[in-house]
Amino acid sequence: MRKKQFVKVSSAAILLGSVVFLVSGTVQSKEPLDDAADFDRLMDAVAYGDMLWHTGEGEGGKHKELSTNGLGCANCHPDGSATQPQSWPKYQTNLGKVGTLREMINWCIQVVQNGKGYALDSKEMIAMEAYATYMNRGAKLDPGLNAQTAPFVISGPGYPTNDEGNR
Amino acid sequence: MREKDKKIFSEKEKITRRDFLGLSAKGAAATMIAGVFSPSVGSMIGLGGVAEAATKKIKPFTFAVMTDGHLYNIKDHRFDAMFMKAVDMINNMKPRPDMVIYGGDIGQTGLEAEIKKGKNMLDKLKMPYKVIPGEHDWYLDMGKAWRGFFGEENWSINHNGAHVIGMNSIKIDDFWTGPGLTPEERMGRVLELECNSCGPWGVEEDGLEWLKKDVKKVSPDTPVVIFTHSPLWDYYPRWNFATKDAPEIRNILRKFDNVMSVHGHVHQVVFNKIGNISSVGTSSTSWPWPYPPVELPYPHIRHNRLDPGNFEDGMGAHHLSVADNGVGTMFYDPFEPSSIPDAVKRGVKL
Ligand SMILES: [Fe+2]
Ligand SMILES: [Fe+2]
Repeated sequence: MRKKQFVKVSSAAILLGSVVFLVSGTVQSKEPLDDAADFDRLMDAVAYGDMLWHTGEGEGGKHKELSTNGLGCANCHPDGSATQPQSWPKYQTNLGKVGTLREMINWCIQVVQNGKGYALDSKEMIAMEAYATYMNRGAKLDPGLNAQTAPFVISGPGYPTNDEGNR
Repeated sequence: MREKDKKIFSEKEKITRRDFLGLSAKGAAATMIAGVFSPSVGSMIGLGGVAEAATKKIKPFTFAVMTDGHLYNIKDHRFDAMFMKAVDMINNMKPRPDMVIYGGDIGQTGLEAEIKKGKNMLDKLKMPYKVIPGEHDWYLDMGKAWRGFFGEENWSINHNGAHVIGMNSIKIDDFWTGPGLTPEERMGRVLELECNSCGPWGVEEDGLEWLKKDVKKVSPDTPVVIFTHSPLWDYYPRWNFATKDAPEIRNILRKFDNVMSVHGHVHQVVFNKIGNISSVGTSSTSWPWPYPPVELPYPHIRHNRLDPGNFEDGMGAHHLSVADNGVGTMFYDPFEPSSIPDAVKRGVKL
């Protein structure tokens, strides 16, 4: 019964969406996603995520949101490995529910790194998600995947950086 | 080593590191293959295989191994407890190991206080111990504190007829003077596993010279055990799961019938064999590293998927028993038994 209703509602939404599109055809002025400036914005987020990812490894207690015991994300997840962005959402035992990668990042921060954590829609959380996802680019979407998989094979930093070749 | 294997080995050894890097750059988008050397059937001595015994009879012995504690200068850090747990585990091993080898990365940021904390715990071992350095011990003060506590970074001992070597394999070419990095910045970069401005590490020229001299008068039928922080094969160079001069090291050690290489740094169960050298990786007492994106030559010798909610899962100590025929068996002694597959628990032949 519920399923049926859902189908109805969603087809109505699609219909509504098409109407809006037809009426305001000129709204489609958004440049394509592969536009260099948009990509740069993503890379800024990835680089910020990379910075946060590697914060805490050597700086116990300096960034209380992230870590108070010196551990950072990269202690266990170099290159964003074993984060499996392609597998979320999924049932995760430690979360005890079907959760998202962002929730798992907070779980790691709070339980493993003894940090405070971030709001799920914060700039920091989105940046860390962007980093983990970008470092696993190319992985086949596989919600619920529950086994070790290998990360993307990386040469260099894994994404465009400055001339020093470093973050 | 048999003649046939010797031939295969020497041919394969001609593949230089540059060839390997060129190969992997080309194949970067596809799957990387760990190491240059695929195992030949004749040289397989992993689980269930038949070891090629060294001809010399020795008096059997057991060494315990613990490594990669990554201690922080934070009071009552949970890594302190895991370090101590490994020490207690080794103290209670029966029969008692003759000696304990610590495989590097005692500290996390190279602080004297971190290394001292580790030494204080190692001093509680009821048997003698030897230590080799890891990159985390070194790049704050270029090994000053470490040397002060443990002395020589390259050492060897003769034990019950075997030759046991420990080497500093984490020497990196100067990447810090140019950009004018402070010691803290230098350490900060090295402590990232995926540091892309640090460059590969190894034993370097003086290490190779030392090793040549050290084994010069050791007869080829002597079983050799060599401890280094990094693996003596190209596993995943991006994470320094490699030693840049490993081909030269393997060349120097080629004359021996059986060389058993035990390394730290990888924080995981892993095995490889190149000619007369078998290599085995170790569990840490801090955190596990994931398996890198390469195909393993011996995929069955690895740990199980670990539970991030169980801080001891995948951690532990080890012991290496060398029999009278010079063949070693490495045993993983995990804190959490479910982390190690039963077949691996029964021991890895070296
Ligand atoms: Fe380590
Ligand atoms: Fe290390």
